[in-house]
Amino acid sequence: MRKYVVIYQSVLMENLQYTANIAMGFISYLILIFVFIHLWEYMYAAPGDLIAGYTKAQMIWYVMITEMIWFGARSSTIREQVSADIRGGNIAYLVNKPYRYPLYILAKYTGEWNIQLPMYAGLTAVIGITMVGEIPDFHWITLVAAVPCIVLGMTIHAVFKLCIGMLSFWIEDANPFQWLYDKLILVVGTIFPVEIFPAALQPVLKLTPIYTVCYGPAKLIVDFSAGKYLEILLAQMLYLAFGSVILFWIYEKGGRKLYVNGG
Amino acid sequence: MLTAVKNQMRVCALAVKYNIMREMLNKVTFLTNILFMMFNNATFIVQWVILLRLREDVGGYTMRDVMLLWGLAASSFGLSRLLFSRVFSLPELIINGKLDAYLVQPKNVLLSVMTSATSASAIGDLAYGLLLVCIFCFSVKRLLLFLLFTVTGALIMTAFALLMGSLTFWFVRAEMFASHMVSSTISFATYPDGIFKGAARFLLYHLIPVGMAIYHPVHIMIAFDGRKLLAVLGYLVLLSAAAVFVFYRGLRRYSSSSLMQSGRV
Amino acid sequence: MKVIEAEKLCKNFQVKHKEKGMRGSIKSIFHPLTEEICAVDRVSFGVEEGEILAFIGPNGAGKSTTIKMLTGILYPDSGHVEVLGIDPVRRRRQLAYQIGTVFGQKEQLWTHLTPYDNFRFFGAIYDLDNDASEARIAELTEIFALGEFINTPVRNLSLGQRIRCEIVASLIHRPKVLFLDEPTIGLDPVVKENIRILIKQMNKELHTTIFLTSHDIGDIEKLCKRIVIVNAGQIVLDDSMEHLKYHYLNKKIVEIKLQEEASLPPIEGITVLKKKGGNIKFEVDTAVIKINDVLRSIDAERIEDINISNISLENIIMEIYKTEGRENGL
Repeated sequence: MRKYVVIYQSVLMENLQYTANIAMGFISYLILIFVFIHLWEYMYAAPGDLIAGYTKAQMIWYVMITEMIWFGARSSTIREQVSADIRGGNIAYLVNKPYRYPLYILAKYTGEWNIQLPMYAGLTAVIGITMVGEIPDFHWITLVAAVPCIVLGMTIHAVFKLCIGMLSFWIEDANPFQWLYDKLILVVGTIFPVEIFPAALQPVLKLTPIYTVCYGPAKLIVDFSAGKYLEILLAQMLYLAFGSVILFWIYEKGGRKLYVNGG
Repeated sequence: MLTAVKNQMRVCALAVKYNIMREMLNKVTFLTNILFMMFNNATFIVQWVILLRLREDVGGYTMRDVMLLWGLAASSFGLSRLLFSRVFSLPELIINGKLDAYLVQPKNVLLSVMTSATSASAIGDLAYGLLLVCIFCFSVKRLLLFLLFTVTGALIMTAFALLMGSLTFWFVRAEMFASHMVSSTISFATYPDGIFKGAARFLLYHLIPVGMAIYHPVHIMIAFDGRKLLAVLGYLVLLSAAAVFVFYRGLRRYSSSSLMQSGRV
Repeated sequence: MKVIEAEKLCKNFQVKHKEKGMRGSIKSIFHPLTEEICAVDRVSFGVEEGEILAFIGPNGAGKSTTIKMLTGILYPDSGHVEVLGIDPVRRRRQLAYQIGTVFGQKEQLWTHLTPYDNFRFFGAIYDLDNDASEARIAELTEIFALGEFINTPVRNLSLGQRIRCEIVASLIHRPKVLFLDEPTIGLDPVVKENIRILIKQMNKELHTTIFLTSHDIGDIEKLCKRIVIVNAGQIVLDDSMEHLKYHYLNKKIVEIKLQEEASLPPIEGITVLKKKGGNIKFEVDTAVIKINDVLRSIDAERIEDINISNISLENIIMEIYKTEGRENGL
């Protein structure tokens, strides 16, 4: 376990050097949020309206938080490195090292998001409070409660991305699948809360990673309830366990294929 | 003079042709890239179906208008990346000293750099835009205007990317800045201008090129307006001139730079 | 006639610094440190028409920086350059028509195209019309024996074939000067030899002036009549190959094996390098003492084995790297 901590620490240290670069990403985030604020200002014709059970402030905060998670989780490590390692043949050297490759990637990714996400969180809080106003019925305790959900969500996200990246053991280009997954999260998961979709679709959406990766944490922060909290935590645990089993299964299978083909 | 221009064009055309040939090397990857890009764009229709279920129009745009907007944004960006893909990775070339290879050639450095790469998915973007126009709001006149504005939009976006990317000659950090500015332009380009008011609106029509590349053209395609057309063309000329000027100032700096760049000693 | 003239060329670079550890990382966010290094320091030399010049030095000595200043990629901080009477800073494009460049580590060819298509592309870049391109390609294909693979995509060629194509691509427009930056890097000995013969032939038949940098002593020994050595940005030696060899060749290395342990008589001009039992290795300065005088001083009865050799060029150059050009404290 200690070696993963060391990997984590060195990535953390390296990324501290790039805080200015990360802050550059604020531009895209700000512009996106800027667009969404204008969009929802337009959509909520009268101040007291509710759309899908959300007030205007809740809706904008919801989008800001899901986008914050999306931006905070951006990492070339989980998006490109796995595919590149496998396709470039680098993996043959990495599987022989005395660590488990998926855990090594996860440690590296954690080091990355541990810097990025807090930075985006700070930014989100500042623009949220100045441009949207406080979240209705907000308590600090809900924020503390939501932290484990965010950590779990970030990890689940990486586990799924890694599973997709490892498809490169079999197919030449796993990018289209990365795309599909990203689109699912981005278009369906971050722009709207699940409740806005037609009632028939909602149960289906709850089965997708959207529910555990972005909907869960954001929903808890804008509209906390104990029942929801337990439900989301439970779902996340199940997802993580399930995802990890798949991840290691794919990795073992793929690794064996590597030995058969001689790398 | 004329032969020089002709020779230059010949080199550019060859470069673009060879780029596309390179992308087509693996036919399966080439086609999946194109199709996935189209599919990728199409997913956003979901967003608009949902939004337009909540209200009849968004910022004064109905479904047809939104599709026209989306189509033009996709086509313009697609054409720009098809022909001049390298402009979008210009900062990387500058930082890693990769412009050297173009500097020893006796051709126009900017054009050689710009046309030195392409991307298959750009074809998907271009095709998606054309498809949307043909499906949602076809008329011959509109299609011709659409083609014209695809070209002007592509040139405006290219010039903007060039301008932003050239800042890397002065500030290494501009690499990230440039890519965020370009992607932000695209974010704006896929939302109706009607939702923006006041200062935001002013910015989008002046500082950020989306007003002239996309919004005005969409208005013109809905209801023709000659003055807006002139504004678009004028803006195109000004922005291009500024971008080329800044690039060459930067190039001079690149050559006299004392910045240690990897692979440059 | 001088083809290349460089006078007191200087180029400085700034390098970033970071202190170690987490503290250094945090510190460098707020206080980035830079240090100025002198990559090229008052370098002056000239190259005659038709000459093959070896421009060598250890890594980071300023070789590539110098080439870049000669070809107009980098502008010197001070000093003056002229290549073919053209100032590369002010008339880079005009110069480009007259010079060719091959960077062994960077490829200029499109790897998915055949050499033939590539050559046509370079023909277009240098404004050759179709007929002129064709004729030139045929000529070079002949000289460089490319016939076998002229229609095979570059990515399927061996490294040796590829570098031949790189050289041909840079010769399409009949450049008067060719800059070769480590052309034989990564090649096997047979292919290296092959490339050297071609370069030599090209120099002879096409009268191309060649400016060559290499780490390969073989390249230098077999190709060049003149050698310029740079170290830490300064020229430490500019001499003809013959002179260099002669200068260092008046040293001989003698290794003898004696029946029993013994020591050499103290004679002037002999330096013992290594001694173990009856095995002695020593250097003889033939300017001071003749080699047969040295041998006469040793009892021939006791010698079991003897080996006399010259100092290799490699050692000579290494010696020069080590001893000179380090005064600047770099």
